[in-house]
Amino acid sequence: MKDRKNTEGQPLSCPECLEGLQEYLDGTLEKQRSLLLFLHLRDCTECRREHDQLKNLYGMLQTLPDHPVPEHFDEPILASIPYEAYRAMEPIRRERVPVYLEEEFLPAWIRSSVVRWSGIVAAVGTVATTWALQLPPTVAIVGAVGLVPAVLVALQGVGRRMVLAEQRTES
Amino acid sequence: MFDRHQDLKTIKRCKRGEEAAFAEILTRYRGAIYNLCYRMTRNGEDARDLAQEVFIKVFSLLDRFDESYAFSSWLFRIATNHCIDHLRRNRLKFLSLDGAVGKDGEEYELQFPGKEPEPDTVLQRKEAMEKVEEVIADLPPHYRAIILLRHDQQLSYDEIAETLQMPLGTVKARIHRARNLLQQMLKNRSYDL
Repeated sequence: MKDRKNTEGQPLSCPECLEGLQEYLDGTLEKQRSLLLFLHLRDCTECRREHDQLKNLYGMLQTLPDHPVPEHFDEPILASIPYEAYRAMEPIRRERVPVYLEEEFLPAWIRSSVVRWSGIVAAVGTVATTWALQLPPTVAIVGAVGLVPAVLVALQGVGRRMVLAEQRTES
Repeated sequence: MFDRHQDLKTIKRCKRGEEAAFAEILTRYRGAIYNLCYRMTRNGEDARDLAQEVFIKVFSLLDRFDESYAFSSWLFRIATNHCIDHLRRNRLKFLSLDGAVGKDGEEYELQFPGKEPEPDTVLQRKEAMEKVEEVIADLPPHYRAIILLRHDQQLSYDEIAETLQMPLGTVKARIHRARNLLQQMLKNRSYDL
């Protein structure tokens, strides 16, 4: 066996070659290392023998003959499937949307129509006052916070409708 | 190797209770799963029972299948675990001459008198295949499974990592060790390749 030092770009030693042999045959060894390994194999009979044996083994593992599936294999499997249960679950499954799109995901006070409409009225009022009295725009921005509950509920509704429409298209 | 998107479409049909969709999945995978079970157990009857149990389990749990993963990975994971559980339950059957599995799942060496190499035997390819199959069957179950997934089912390292739910580095290291052990066992038995 050749015994060479492990330096970057230097020829490989036999242990280094054997270490990288599997990756080399898998085709996953880095390019420069593959070249060094190839050069080592060209010169080293022992490593080449090891390489040939491993390659042969890979070839055989890849082409192991298939064993035929026994007759009537499918019957007990197909007989055991709860088709009816799947069919019964289908409408429920179709109505299923991600948790964040379910109404209950938002706190009840945000969903409350009083809060939402009050927020809208407050926001519109603040923006109108800011415009009429020439107040700084930051006042209008603060007032727009009142729109948040209504926007959240609206976005959730749109998202839910989109998911359900997609599910209907798939089915 | 297996068409992930095609599988997903068929699984959606299965979830709607379409009988033909289940039959399609079965046609697509029964050979692979039966052969995996066969090579894990080296016994036709056990392989048939195990493979059927795998499909029955999978088909009853489809609602739990996470569609962000490949169906084939989920199926092979269930099949591999089912075979390993079976082998654990029948531990005596898989004590090998070259290695066995300790409590920690790692193989240890068993000492037996050396087997004399048969003189002047030139193995034909078919015979060599049989020897390889025999040695695979004597690998510790975790190594056997990973060798079969890599070489027989030809899954990529990434697919195996997803199937066995292991980091990629662990998969590579385990395949490396499994191949070394396989080679060593072939040499111990004087099976020339």
